[in-house]
Amino acid sequence: MGEEAPVIRFRNVSKSFGDKAVLRDVSLDIPRGRTTVIIGPSGTGKSVLVKMLVGLLEPDSGAIWVDDVDVAQASERQLFALRRKFGMLFQDGALFDSLTVGENIAFPLRRHTRMADDAIDAAVALRLEQVGLPGIEELMPAELSGGMRKRVSLARAVVMEPEVLIFDEPNSGLDPITSDEIDALIGRMKVELGITFVVISHDIVGTFAVADRIGMLYNGGLVALGTPDEVLRSTEPIVRRFLDRNMDLPPVGEPG
Amino acid sequence: MNAVATVGLLVQRTGACGLFFFDCLRSTARNGVRWDRVMEEASKVGFRSFFVLATMAIFVGTNLAIQGSAAFATLGAKSLVGMFVALGGVREVCPLLAGTMVAAKAGTEMTAQLAVMRTKDQIDALEVMGVDPRAELITPPLLAILITLPALTMISVAIALASAVLVAVFQLGLDYGQFMDWLIRNITVFDLAAAMIKSVCFAFVIAIVSGYFGFFSERGPAGVGRATNRAVVTMCIVSITLNFFLTTVLYG
Repeated sequence: MGEEAPVIRFRNVSKSFGDKAVLRDVSLDIPRGRTTVIIGPSGTGKSVLVKMLVGLLEPDSGAIWVDDVDVAQASERQLFALRRKFGMLFQDGALFDSLTVGENIAFPLRRHTRMADDAIDAAVALRLEQVGLPGIEELMPAELSGGMRKRVSLARAVVMEPEVLIFDEPNSGLDPITSDEIDALIGRMKVELGITFVVISHDIVGTFAVADRIGMLYNGGLVALGTPDEVLRSTEPIVRRFLDRNMDLPPVGEPG
Repeated sequence: MNAVATVGLLVQRTGACGLFFFDCLRSTARNGVRWDRVMEEASKVGFRSFFVLATMAIFVGTNLAIQGSAAFATLGAKSLVGMFVALGGVREVCPLLAGTMVAAKAGTEMTAQLAVMRTKDQIDALEVMGVDPRAELITPPLLAILITLPALTMISVAIALASAVLVAVFQLGLDYGQFMDWLIRNITVFDLAAAMIKSVCFAFVIAIVSGYFGFFSERGPAGVGRATNRAVVTMCIVSITLNFFLTTVLYG
Protein backbone atom coordinates (compact mmCIF):
# COMPACT_ATOMS: atom_id res chain seq x y z
CA MET A 1 0.00 0.00 0.00
CA GLY A 2 2.91 2.28 0.81
CA GLU A 3 4.13 2.08 -2.78
CA GLU A 4 1.06 3.89 -4.13
CA ALA A 5 1.23 7.57 -5.04
CA PRO A 6 1.01 9.74 -1.94
CA VAL A 7 -2.50 10.98 -1.24
CA ILE A 8 -1.34 14.44 -0.15
CA ARG A 9 1.62 16.42 -1.44
CA PHE A 10 2.66 19.74 0.03
CA ARG A 11 4.91 21.55 -2.45
CA ASN A 12 6.95 24.58 -1.37
CA VAL A 13 4.20 25.84 0.89
CA SER A 14 4.73 29.14 2.70
CA LYS A 15 2.41 31.02 5.01
CA SER A 16 2.83 34.19 7.03
CA PHE A 17 0.59 36.07 9.39
CA GLY A 18 1.60 39.72 9.29
CA ASP A 19 5.41 39.71 9.32
CA LYS A 20 5.56 36.38 11.11
CA ALA A 21 6.50 33.60 8.71
CA VAL A 22 4.80 30.51 10.13
CA LEU A 23 5.74 28.07 7.37
CA ARG A 24 8.62 28.52 4.94
CA ASP A 25 8.85 26.50 1.76
CA VAL A 26 7.59 23.26 3.27
CA SER A 27 7.35 20.19 1.02
CA LEU A 28 5.95 16.98 2.41
CA ASP A 29 4.31 13.81 1.10
CA ILE A 30 1.62 12.01 3.08
CA PRO A 31 1.50 8.35 1.96
CA ARG A 32 -1.85 6.72 1.41
CA GLY A 33 -3.16 4.32 4.03
CA ARG A 34 -0.44 5.20 6.52
CA THR A 35 -0.29 7.27 9.66
CA THR A 36 1.82 10.38 9.40
CA VAL A 37 2.42 12.36 12.56
CA ILE A 38 3.58 15.96 12.46
CA ILE A 39 5.30 16.94 15.67
CA GLY A 40 6.93 20.10 16.89
CA PRO A 41 6.75 22.67 19.65
CA SER A 42 3.64 24.86 19.93
CA GLY A 43 3.42 27.74 17.52
CA THR A 44 5.43 26.09 14.75
CA GLY A 45 2.60 25.99 12.27
CA LYS A 46 1.39 22.43 12.71
CA SER A 47 -2.25 23.47 12.95
CA VAL A 48 -1.75 25.95 10.11
CA LEU A 49 -0.49 23.10 7.95
CA VAL A 50 -3.65 21.01 8.41
CA LYS A 51 -5.93 24.02 8.17
CA MET A 52 -4.43 24.73 4.77
CA LEU A 53 -4.86 21.08 3.83
CA VAL A 54 -8.62 21.26 4.37
CA GLY A 55 -8.87 24.72 2.81
CA LEU A 56 -9.65 26.67 5.98
CA LEU A 57 -6.55 28.79 5.33
CA GLU A 58 -4.90 29.64 2.03
CA PRO A 59 -1.15 29.30 1.60
CA ASP A 60 0.69 32.46 0.49
CA SER A 61 2.58 30.38 -2.07
CA GLY A 62 3.05 26.76 -3.03
CA ALA A 63 0.64 23.96 -3.84
CA ILE A 64 -1.19 21.37 -1.76
CA TRP A 65 -2.22 18.43 -3.87
CA VAL A 66 -4.88 16.05 -2.64
CA ASP A 67 -4.90 13.33 -5.27
CA ASP A 68 -5.08 15.46 -8.42
CA VAL A 69 -6.65 18.66 -7.00
CA ASP A 70 -4.60 21.60 -5.75
CA VAL A 71 -6.42 22.80 -2.63
CA ALA A 72 -4.82 26.22 -2.94
CA GLN A 73 -6.28 26.74 -6.43
CA ALA A 74 -9.59 24.93 -5.91
CA SER A 75 -12.87 26.78 -6.46
CA GLU A 76 -15.27 26.92 -3.54
CA ARG A 77 -17.36 24.20 -5.15
CA GLN A 78 -14.34 21.93 -5.65
CA LEU A 79 -13.28 22.61 -2.10
CA PHE A 80 -16.60 21.51 -0.62
CA ALA A 81 -16.45 18.35 -2.73
CA LEU A 82 -12.85 17.71 -1.74
CA ARG A 83 -13.64 18.07 1.94
CA ARG A 84 -15.89 15.02 1.75
CA LYS A 85 -12.68 13.00 1.58
CA PHE A 86 -11.64 14.36 4.96
CA GLY A 87 -12.73 13.69 8.49
CA MET A 88 -11.26 15.93 11.14
CA LEU A 89 -10.98 15.69 14.88
CA PHE A 90 -10.64 19.21 16.26
CA GLN A 91 -8.70 20.02 19.42
CA ASP A 92 -11.70 20.42 21.68
CA GLY A 93 -13.97 18.22 19.62
CA ALA A 94 -15.95 21.07 18.02
CA LEU A 95 -19.22 19.26 18.73
CA PHE A 96 -22.33 21.36 18.14
CA ASP A 97 -23.53 22.43 21.59
CA SER A 98 -27.21 22.60 20.72
CA LEU A 99 -27.37 19.05 19.36
CA THR A 100 -27.25 15.77 21.26
CA VAL A 101 -24.35 13.37 20.81
CA GLY A 102 -26.45 11.27 18.45
CA GLU A 103 -27.53 14.29 16.38
CA ASN A 104 -23.92 15.45 16.20
CA ILE A 105 -22.76 12.17 14.73
CA ALA A 106 -25.78 11.96 12.43
CA PHE A 107 -25.27 15.54 11.20
CA PRO A 108 -23.02 14.83 8.17
CA LEU A 109 -25.21 11.88 7.16
CA ARG A 110 -28.35 14.01 7.27
CA ARG A 111 -26.69 16.74 5.23
CA HIS A 112 -24.99 14.64 2.60
CA THR A 113 -26.95 11.40 2.25
CA ARG A 114 -30.54 10.33 1.81
CA MET A 115 -30.25 7.55 4.37
CA ALA A 116 -33.41 6.57 6.23
CA ASP A 117 -33.69 7.44 9.92
CA ASP A 118 -33.19 3.83 11.10
CA ALA A 119 -30.10 3.46 8.97
CA ILE A 120 -28.72 6.70 10.40
CA ASP A 121 -29.50 5.58 13.96
CA ALA A 122 -27.74 2.29 13.28
CA ALA A 123 -24.70 4.07 11.84
CA VAL A 124 -24.55 6.37 14.87
CA ALA A 125 -24.80 3.44 17.29
CA LEU A 126 -22.08 1.57 15.41
CA ARG A 127 -19.69 4.53 15.48
CA LEU A 128 -20.30 5.15 19.19
CA GLU A 129 -19.58 1.49 19.84
CA GLN A 130 -16.41 1.80 17.78
CA VAL A 131 -15.10 4.65 19.96
CA GLY A 132 -16.05 2.81 23.15
CA LEU A 133 -19.06 4.90 24.18
CA PRO A 134 -22.13 2.84 23.26
CA GLY A 135 -25.58 4.13 24.15
CA ILE A 136 -24.84 7.78 24.90
CA GLU A 137 -26.81 9.20 21.93
CA GLU A 138 -29.09 11.29 24.11
CA LEU A 139 -26.40 13.11 26.11
CA MET A 140 -25.57 16.74 25.35
CA PRO A 141 -21.94 17.70 24.59
CA ALA A 142 -21.81 19.81 27.78
CA GLU A 143 -22.37 16.62 29.81
CA LEU A 144 -19.27 14.92 28.40
CA SER A 145 -15.73 14.89 29.79
CA GLY A 146 -12.85 16.10 27.60
CA GLY A 147 -11.90 12.57 26.61
CA MET A 148 -15.49 11.64 25.78
CA ARG A 149 -15.88 14.76 23.64
CA LYS A 150 -12.87 13.71 21.59
CA ARG A 151 -14.24 10.20 21.17
CA VAL A 152 -17.64 11.47 20.04
CA SER A 153 -15.92 13.89 17.70
CA LEU A 154 -13.93 10.97 16.31
CA ALA A 155 -17.16 9.05 15.79
CA ARG A 156 -18.56 12.03 13.88
CA ALA A 157 -15.36 12.38 11.84
CA VAL A 158 -15.49 8.76 10.61
CA VAL A 159 -19.24 8.45 10.04
CA MET A 160 -18.94 9.56 6.40
CA GLU A 161 -16.14 7.03 5.86
CA PRO A 162 -13.49 9.57 4.90
CA GLU A 163 -10.35 8.69 2.98
CA VAL A 164 -8.18 10.84 5.20
CA LEU A 165 -8.65 11.34 8.92
CA ILE A 166 -6.99 14.36 10.50
CA PHE A 167 -6.33 14.65 14.23
CA ASP A 168 -5.50 18.11 15.54
CA GLU A 169 -3.72 17.60 18.87
CA PRO A 170 -5.75 14.58 19.98
CA ASN A 171 -4.12 14.62 23.41
CA SER A 172 -4.31 18.31 24.22
CA GLY A 173 -6.11 19.11 27.45
CA LEU A 174 -6.32 15.50 28.58
CA ASP A 175 -4.89 13.89 31.69
CA PRO A 176 -2.16 11.26 31.06
CA ILE A 177 -4.47 8.27 31.51
CA THR A 178 -7.20 9.57 29.20
CA SER A 179 -4.46 10.61 26.82
CA ASP A 180 -3.15 7.03 26.70
CA GLU A 181 -6.69 5.78 26.08
CA ILE A 182 -7.06 8.14 23.14
CA ASP A 183 -3.71 6.97 21.74
CA ALA A 184 -4.88 3.36 22.09
CA LEU A 185 -8.12 4.26 20.34
CA ILE A 186 -6.24 5.92 17.49
CA GLY A 187 -4.08 2.81 17.17
CA ARG A 188 -7.17 0.59 17.04
CA MET A 189 -8.98 2.81 14.54
CA LYS A 190 -5.89 2.79 12.36
CA VAL A 191 -6.06 -0.99 12.10
CA GLU A 192 -9.88 -1.12 11.73
CA LEU A 193 -10.20 1.60 9.11
CA GLY A 194 -6.95 1.22 7.18
CA ILE A 195 -7.20 4.78 5.86
CA THR A 196 -4.73 7.65 5.81
CA PHE A 197 -4.23 9.33 9.17
CA VAL A 198 -2.62 12.72 9.64
CA VAL A 199 -1.93 13.46 13.29
CA ILE A 200 -0.74 16.80 14.64
CA SER A 201 0.79 16.38 18.04
CA HIS A 202 3.31 17.58 20.55
CA ASP A 203 2.83 14.41 22.57
CA ILE A 204 5.91 12.38 21.68
CA VAL A 205 5.15 9.16 23.51
CA GLY A 206 1.75 8.81 21.84
CA THR A 207 3.27 9.76 18.51
CA PHE A 208 5.73 6.91 18.44
CA ALA A 209 3.02 4.46 19.37
CA VAL A 210 0.89 5.16 16.28
CA ALA A 211 3.16 6.71 13.65
CA ASP A 212 4.31 5.07 10.44
CA ARG A 213 6.04 8.28 9.53
CA ILE A 214 7.00 11.31 11.55
CA GLY A 215 7.71 14.82 10.37
CA MET A 216 9.01 17.45 12.74
CA LEU A 217 8.29 21.13 12.16
CA TYR A 218 10.47 23.73 13.77
CA ASN A 219 10.79 27.40 13.07
CA GLY A 220 8.64 27.21 9.94
CA GLY A 221 10.50 24.33 8.31
CA LEU A 222 10.61 20.57 8.30
CA VAL A 223 13.66 19.52 10.35
CA ALA A 224 13.08 15.77 10.33
CA LEU A 225 11.06 13.34 8.25
CA GLY A 226 11.09 9.58 8.22
CA THR A 227 10.05 6.44 10.04
CA PRO A 228 9.95 6.63 13.84
CA ASP A 229 13.27 4.79 13.96
CA GLU A 230 14.90 7.19 11.57
CA VAL A 231 13.65 10.19 13.50
CA LEU A 232 14.76 8.67 16.81
CA ARG A 233 18.26 8.29 15.40
CA SER A 234 18.36 11.84 14.07
CA THR A 235 21.38 13.82 15.12
CA GLU A 236 19.81 17.17 14.30
CA PRO A 237 20.30 19.13 17.55
CA ILE A 238 16.80 20.60 17.68
CA VAL A 239 15.21 17.20 17.06
CA ARG A 240 17.34 15.71 19.83
CA ARG A 241 16.39 18.47 22.23
CA PHE A 242 12.69 18.01 21.52
CA LEU A 243 12.77 14.20 21.72
CA ASP A 244 15.04 13.89 24.74
CA ARG A 245 13.05 16.32 26.82
CA ASN A 246 9.75 14.77 25.91
CA MET A 247 10.74 11.12 26.17
CA ASP A 248 12.74 11.56 29.39
CA LEU A 249 15.76 10.11 27.65
CA PRO A 250 19.11 11.09 29.02
CA PRO A 251 20.72 13.76 26.88
CA VAL A 252 22.78 12.25 24.08
CA GLY A 253 26.33 11.50 25.16
CA GLU A 254 25.62 10.95 28.82
CA PRO A 255 25.63 7.45 30.24
CA GLY A 256 22.08 6.23 30.45
CA MET B 1 -9.77 57.59 17.32
CA ASN B 2 -10.03 60.65 15.09
CA ALA B 3 -12.97 61.42 12.84
CA VAL B 4 -11.27 60.35 9.61
CA ALA B 5 -10.33 56.97 11.05
CA THR B 6 -13.87 56.48 12.37
CA VAL B 7 -15.41 57.25 8.99
CA GLY B 8 -12.83 55.00 7.32
CA LEU B 9 -13.69 52.16 9.65
CA LEU B 10 -17.41 52.73 9.08
CA VAL B 11 -16.98 52.56 5.30
CA GLN B 12 -14.81 49.48 5.58
CA ARG B 13 -17.25 47.70 7.90
CA THR B 14 -20.21 48.60 5.70
CA GLY B 15 -18.40 47.17 2.70
CA ALA B 16 -17.45 44.04 4.62
CA CYS B 17 -21.05 43.54 5.79
CA GLY B 18 -22.26 44.01 2.22
CA LEU B 19 -19.83 41.40 0.91
CA PHE B 20 -20.79 39.07 3.71
CA PHE B 21 -24.46 39.47 2.81
CA PHE B 22 -23.67 38.76 -0.83
CA ASP B 23 -21.73 35.63 0.20
CA CYS B 24 -24.69 34.47 2.29
CA LEU B 25 -27.05 34.99 -0.65
CA ARG B 26 -24.78 33.03 -2.97
CA SER B 27 -24.33 30.19 -0.53
CA THR B 28 -28.08 30.07 0.10
CA ALA B 29 -28.78 30.02 -3.64
CA ARG B 30 -26.45 27.05 -3.91
CA ASN B 31 -27.60 25.15 -0.83
CA GLY B 32 -31.27 26.04 -0.55
CA VAL B 33 -33.15 27.34 2.47
CA ARG B 34 -33.73 25.15 5.51
CA TRP B 35 -37.30 26.22 6.23
CA ASP B 36 -37.55 24.04 9.33
CA ARG B 37 -34.67 26.01 10.86
CA VAL B 38 -36.21 29.32 9.73
CA MET B 39 -39.49 28.49 11.47
CA GLU B 40 -37.69 27.32 14.59
CA GLU B 41 -35.70 30.57 14.71
CA ALA B 42 -38.76 32.69 13.93
CA SER B 43 -40.71 31.26 16.83
CA LYS B 44 -37.70 31.80 19.10
CA VAL B 45 -37.28 35.43 18.00
CA GLY B 46 -41.01 36.09 18.23
CA PHE B 47 -41.63 34.60 21.65
CA ARG B 48 -38.46 35.85 23.26
CA SER B 49 -38.96 39.43 22.19
CA PHE B 50 -42.72 39.59 22.56
CA PHE B 51 -43.20 40.20 26.27
CA VAL B 52 -40.43 42.75 26.69
CA LEU B 53 -41.59 44.51 23.56
CA ALA B 54 -45.23 44.48 24.69
CA THR B 55 -44.27 45.98 28.05
CA MET B 56 -42.23 48.69 26.40
CA ALA B 57 -44.96 49.42 23.85
CA ILE B 58 -47.53 49.88 26.64
CA PHE B 59 -45.46 52.57 28.28
CA VAL B 60 -44.46 54.21 25.05
CA GLY B 61 -48.17 54.65 24.31
CA THR B 62 -48.91 56.05 27.75
CA ASN B 63 -46.13 58.60 27.54
CA LEU B 64 -46.95 59.71 24.03
CA ALA B 65 -50.46 60.49 25.26
CA ILE B 66 -49.23 62.35 28.34
CA GLN B 67 -46.63 64.38 26.43
CA GLY B 68 -49.09 65.15 23.66
CA SER B 69 -51.63 66.30 26.16
CA ALA B 70 -49.13 68.50 28.01
CA ALA B 71 -47.88 70.06 24.79
CA PHE B 72 -51.23 70.73 23.18
CA ALA B 73 -52.97 71.91 26.36
CA THR B 74 -50.95 75.12 26.19
CA LEU B 75 -52.33 75.67 22.68
CA GLY B 76 -55.82 74.81 23.83
CA ALA B 77 -55.94 72.02 21.29
CA LYS B 78 -56.16 68.84 23.36
CA SER B 79 -58.00 67.14 20.55
CA LEU B 80 -54.71 66.98 18.66
CA VAL B 81 -53.32 64.44 21.15
CA GLY B 82 -54.74 61.63 19.02
CA MET B 83 -52.89 62.93 16.03
CA PHE B 84 -49.64 63.24 17.98
CA VAL B 85 -49.89 59.68 19.22
CA ALA B 86 -50.67 58.38 15.75
CA LEU B 87 -47.83 60.21 14.03
CA GLY B 88 -45.20 59.60 16.67
CA GLY B 89 -46.16 56.05 17.49
CA VAL B 90 -46.78 54.54 14.08
CA ARG B 91 -44.28 56.47 12.02
CA GLU B 92 -41.33 56.73 14.35
CA VAL B 93 -41.29 55.13 17.75
CA CYS B 94 -42.78 51.67 17.24
CA PRO B 95 -40.65 50.56 14.25
CA LEU B 96 -37.51 51.71 16.03
CA LEU B 97 -38.61 50.24 19.34
CA ALA B 98 -39.34 46.82 17.87
CA GLY B 99 -36.08 46.94 15.91
CA THR B 100 -34.06 47.85 18.99
CA MET B 101 -35.72 45.13 21.02
CA VAL B 102 -35.06 42.43 18.42
CA ALA B 103 -31.51 43.73 18.04
CA ALA B 104 -31.00 43.53 21.79
CA LYS B 105 -32.49 40.04 22.21
CA ALA B 106 -32.26 38.07 18.98
CA GLY B 107 -29.37 40.01 17.46
CA THR B 108 -27.00 39.75 20.39
CA GLU B 109 -27.89 36.12 20.88
CA MET B 110 -27.07 35.41 17.26
CA THR B 111 -23.72 37.21 17.54
CA ALA B 112 -22.75 35.51 20.79
CA GLN B 113 -23.75 32.08 19.53
CA LEU B 114 -21.78 32.46 16.31
CA ALA B 115 -18.77 33.85 18.18
CA VAL B 116 -18.80 30.88 20.56
CA MET B 117 -19.06 28.52 17.58
CA ARG B 118 -16.10 30.28 15.97
CA THR B 119 -14.11 30.02 19.20
CA LYS B 120 -14.85 26.32 19.63
CA ASP B 121 -13.94 25.51 15.99
CA GLN B 122 -17.55 24.55 15.25
CA ILE B 123 -17.75 26.81 12.19
CA ASP B 124 -14.51 25.27 10.90
CA ALA B 125 -15.96 21.84 11.64
CA LEU B 126 -18.99 22.62 9.44
CA GLU B 127 -16.71 23.70 6.60
CA VAL B 128 -14.60 20.58 6.87
CA MET B 129 -17.79 18.49 6.77
CA GLY B 130 -18.55 20.17 3.46
CA VAL B 131 -21.49 22.10 4.90
CA ASP B 132 -21.53 25.79 4.02
CA PRO B 133 -21.73 27.58 7.40
CA ARG B 134 -23.36 30.69 5.93
CA ALA B 135 -26.36 28.82 4.56
CA GLU B 136 -26.49 26.80 7.76
CA LEU B 137 -26.03 29.50 10.38
CA ILE B 138 -26.82 32.92 8.91
CA THR B 139 -29.69 32.45 6.47
CA PRO B 140 -32.23 30.88 8.88
CA PRO B 141 -32.02 33.64 11.54
CA LEU B 142 -31.88 36.28 8.78
CA LEU B 143 -35.15 35.08 7.28
CA ALA B 144 -36.61 34.55 10.75
CA ILE B 145 -35.93 38.17 11.70
CA LEU B 146 -37.25 39.35 8.34
CA ILE B 147 -40.51 37.53 9.03
CA THR B 148 -40.94 38.38 12.70
CA LEU B 149 -39.81 42.00 12.94
CA PRO B 150 -42.57 43.50 10.75
CA ALA B 151 -45.09 41.42 12.70
CA LEU B 152 -43.67 42.53 16.02
CA THR B 153 -43.72 46.14 14.80
CA MET B 154 -47.43 45.91 13.98
CA ILE B 155 -48.15 44.30 17.32
CA SER B 156 -46.27 47.03 19.15
CA VAL B 157 -48.19 49.67 17.19
CA ALA B 158 -51.47 48.10 18.29
CA ILE B 159 -50.38 47.86 21.91
CA ALA B 160 -48.99 51.40 22.07
CA LEU B 161 -52.12 52.89 20.53
CA ALA B 162 -54.36 50.93 22.89
CA SER B 163 -52.45 52.05 25.96
CA ALA B 164 -52.47 55.64 24.69
CA VAL B 165 -56.24 55.52 24.33
CA LEU B 166 -56.63 54.19 27.87
CA VAL B 167 -54.41 56.87 29.38
CA ALA B 168 -55.99 59.62 27.30
CA VAL B 169 -59.49 58.70 28.34
CA PHE B 170 -59.12 57.50 31.92
CA GLN B 171 -56.12 59.44 33.18
CA LEU B 172 -56.22 62.64 31.14
CA GLY B 173 -59.99 62.80 30.82
CA LEU B 174 -60.03 63.38 27.07
CA ASP B 175 -63.10 62.66 25.01
CA TYR B 176 -62.93 59.14 23.60
CA GLY B 177 -64.74 59.89 20.35
CA GLN B 178 -62.70 62.95 19.55
CA PHE B 179 -59.42 61.23 20.42
CA MET B 180 -60.18 58.21 18.26
CA ASP B 181 -61.33 60.41 15.43
CA TRP B 182 -58.01 62.26 15.28
CA LEU B 183 -56.08 59.06 15.83
CA ILE B 184 -57.68 57.09 13.04
CA ARG B 185 -57.76 60.00 10.63
CA ASN B 186 -53.99 60.30 10.97
CA ILE B 187 -53.03 56.68 10.41
CA THR B 188 -53.09 55.96 6.69
CA VAL B 189 -52.33 52.74 4.88
CA PHE B 190 -49.21 54.50 3.70
CA ASP B 191 -48.12 55.03 7.32
CA LEU B 192 -48.53 51.35 8.10
CA ALA B 193 -46.71 50.41 4.90
CA ALA B 194 -43.92 52.85 5.78
CA ALA B 195 -43.62 51.28 9.23
CA MET B 196 -43.34 47.87 7.57
CA ILE B 197 -40.70 49.12 5.13
CA LYS B 198 -38.71 50.51 8.04
CA SER B 199 -38.96 47.28 9.97
CA VAL B 200 -37.83 45.22 6.98
CA CYS B 201 -34.80 47.49 6.59
CA PHE B 202 -34.02 47.20 10.30
CA ALA B 203 -34.38 43.42 10.06
CA PHE B 204 -31.71 43.32 7.35
CA VAL B 205 -29.40 45.51 9.39
CA ILE B 206 -29.87 43.46 12.55
CA ALA B 207 -29.37 40.08 10.91
CA ILE B 208 -26.40 41.07 8.76
CA VAL B 209 -24.59 43.04 11.44
CA SER B 210 -25.09 40.41 14.15
CA GLY B 211 -24.18 37.67 11.71
CA TYR B 212 -21.08 39.46 10.46
CA PHE B 213 -19.62 40.27 13.88
CA GLY B 214 -20.36 36.79 15.24
CA PHE B 215 -19.13 34.93 12.18
CA PHE B 216 -15.82 36.81 12.03
CA SER B 217 -15.35 37.06 15.79
CA GLU B 218 -11.90 36.74 17.30
CA ARG B 219 -11.48 33.49 19.19
CA GLY B 220 -11.74 33.23 22.96
CA PRO B 221 -14.08 34.63 25.62
CA ALA B 222 -12.81 38.18 25.11
CA GLY B 223 -13.52 37.82 21.40
CA VAL B 224 -17.12 36.78 22.08
CA GLY B 225 -17.62 39.80 24.35
CA ARG B 226 -16.07 42.19 21.85
CA ALA B 227 -18.11 40.79 18.96
CA THR B 228 -21.40 41.17 20.85
CA ASN B 229 -20.51 44.64 22.01
CA ARG B 230 -19.53 45.81 18.52
CA ALA B 231 -22.64 44.27 17.01
CA VAL B 232 -24.97 46.11 19.40
CA VAL B 233 -23.24 49.45 18.97
CA THR B 234 -23.18 49.09 15.19
CA MET B 235 -26.83 47.98 15.01
CA CYS B 236 -27.95 50.96 17.11
CA ILE B 237 -25.96 53.54 15.14
CA VAL B 238 -26.86 52.11 11.75
CA SER B 239 -30.56 51.69 12.59
CA ILE B 240 -31.01 55.19 13.95
CA THR B 241 -29.13 56.74 11.03
CA LEU B 242 -31.05 54.63 8.56
CA ASN B 243 -34.27 55.71 10.26
CA PHE B 244 -33.44 59.32 9.48
CA PHE B 245 -32.89 58.54 5.80
CA LEU B 246 -36.00 56.40 5.60
CA THR B 247 -38.12 59.11 7.19
CA THR B 248 -36.60 61.63 4.80
CA VAL B 249 -37.38 59.50 1.77
CA LEU B 250 -40.85 58.42 2.94
CA TYR B 251 -42.07 61.69 4.48
CA GLY B 252 -39.52 64.39 3.71
